[in-house]
Amino acid sequence: MTNSEERSVRWVRVKALFEQALERPSRERLQWLSAAAGPDTALFREVDSLLAAHESGGEFLREPPAVPPADIHIFPPGTRLGPYEIIDELGRGGGGIVYLARDHRLGRQVALKLVATGANPELRDRLRREARAAATISHPSIATVHAREEFDDQLFIVSEYVRGRTLRAELAEGPLPYDRTVAIARDMAKALRAAHDAGVVHRDLKPENILLSDTDGVKIVDFGIARMADDAVTQLTRHGALRGTPAYMAPEQLLGAVVDARTDIYAFGIVVIEMLTGHHPGAARAAVDVGPGKLMEVAHRATQLEPGARFQSAALLIDALEHVDRPAGPDRSRAQWWWEFHQVTTAAIYGLTLWPAWIARQTIGSTAGRTLFIVVLAAVVVSACLRLHMWFASRSYTDELTWVRHRSAPWIKGADAVFSLGLAAGGLILRAEHSSLDVLLLSIALGAAVASFFIEPATSRAAFGKNG
Amino acid sequence: MSSENDLRPESLMPLVYDELRRIAARYVSRERKGRTLQATALVNEAFIRLAAERPREFQNRAHFLAIAALSMRQILVQRARAREAAKRGGERERMTLDDDAAVAASGFGHTGGGPDAVDLLALDTALSQLAALDPELARLVELRYFGGMTIEETAEVMKTSPATVKRQWALARAWLRRAIAGDAT
Repeated sequence: MTNSEERSVRWVRVKALFEQALERPSRERLQWLSAAAGPDTALFREVDSLLAAHESGGEFLREPPAVPPADIHIFPPGTRLGPYEIIDELGRGGGGIVYLARDHRLGRQVALKLVATGANPELRDRLRREARAAATISHPSIATVHAREEFDDQLFIVSEYVRGRTLRAELAEGPLPYDRTVAIARDMAKALRAAHDAGVVHRDLKPENILLSDTDGVKIVDFGIARMADDAVTQLTRHGALRGTPAYMAPEQLLGAVVDARTDIYAFGIVVIEMLTGHHPGAARAAVDVGPGKLMEVAHRATQLEPGARFQSAALLIDALEHVDRPAGPDRSRAQWWWEFHQVTTAAIYGLTLWPAWIARQTIGSTAGRTLFIVVLAAVVVSACLRLHMWFASRSYTDELTWVRHRSAPWIKGADAVFSLGLAAGGLILRAEHSSLDVLLLSIALGAAVASFFIEPATSRAAFGKNG
Repeated sequence: MSSENDLRPESLMPLVYDELRRIAARYVSRERKGRTLQATALVNEAFIRLAAERPREFQNRAHFLAIAALSMRQILVQRARAREAAKRGGERERMTLDDDAAVAASGFGHTGGGPDAVDLLALDTALSQLAALDPELARLVELRYFGGMTIEETAEVMKTSPATVKRQWALARAWLRRAIAGDAT
């Protein structure tokens, strides 16, 4: 038998003895083992040491492995790199570490991103060219690249420091409202077009790279950095840095094929889906119902696995995004305005009617007058309040408007009916007493009835559709 | 959308990513917040590697999981090596040797602790030795430990019974522990 065959045979025996020994209660093991091993003391020792290791094993390997951080150089706050002073580390990933730094020449804060270290001359030239390309992009939705700096063999990209929340942080609180998503998507598409026109593909578009500020809207950072990082790959993978974010990478990108504008468009689509639904689509990119509005369709087309099936350029994407607003086209929104007007006016008229109603009460006197007045007052309160509530809901574009309308409708109708009847009754009584108010009350009653049962349904239908 | 039969690489990728996320989730059990970031970064890296390895070669889920576990192992070991090298001052002087403090300060979690904390490099060496002796056993450790799989899942992948996996896992742990302790003394 060869050595390794011997070892194999031996190992099989060791295994068998170990497993059998484990079946015995621990205090009997030693005894059993010495009997089973017989004269083979080496075998005995082998299994015995294994048993000992097993018994004192404790938590060994029971916890998942601790994940060592992917290190690169760490610059503590206060480090000076030429005119820049490191203030803090902003984050990692996407091919490097980003620091917040102060440019003491200009007295402003900048983002300093370490892209590569110790590059060979050829690589360095390529990186310089790419940095230059990135620096040519000028667009309000793209963080400006200010400079490329090299300190001691380490290449940094200096860019605009953008304050604001990342889209990732926003998404942690759930999906975004539709209209806001559309606005962000449009800004993103325009940014992509500007970059693609400059010949730069982002390659690492994701919510972490999209910043939302209150004043400046959307700002995308890290344009062109991913490309540089890819080229500096030997340095970075040695240090274990992260290279791209697979969740947003188009299939061709992952498989190492040619990356172009459509790759960014894929990432764009994934981000949009995430904004609309609140989570990453994953493998099941099934259609999720986000209500009316074609943005999801645009996103689906953008995330087609085949690059040729997507939008072929950011310009085409921008065109498609023109048509994704919620179905409140010009006629629709004017109808809605009229509907809102109707609500407010009706509420106001009802309120004003209380004055002649009060006078009528006094004229009529007696319990009848008082009762009628209270009835009309109640109707006014209910109807006016509910109408104002609906008006407010409509103005705030809340998605609850439909629900509010449907819930309020029966109450409003009822209140309107009571209002009309009450006024009509009062008018008739006044008629009997030959007061001049009767005409007023009767006409208001009639007007309210007509408005409520004929005009209002039509206005509603115009504004919200048949089943709206 | 894509079914199990759709084995084109492009369609596999999202599935692969989902699977890896599940593995990473196991890494984060009972963890502090910092570790979630680590686990995510780990998954991303594993994914890139796997993507580069021509996914059309994954025969089935079991095959993929085995490769994924191996990939995780490689990444972790590589990182551990990088840290070792850095700590020994083999890198540039600007490298802060006080990595742990800096890393902890930046909120990226810690490298694990406690008296039973595993030295990844020692484990890797020992595991390689075990593989020379008993490849199946080494694979089991990879699946269980680096792939984060349960006994049942491991049994499924290795096509044995859970009881067998349990026994073998006990043996493997004992062997590895002995090997590591042996080297240390």
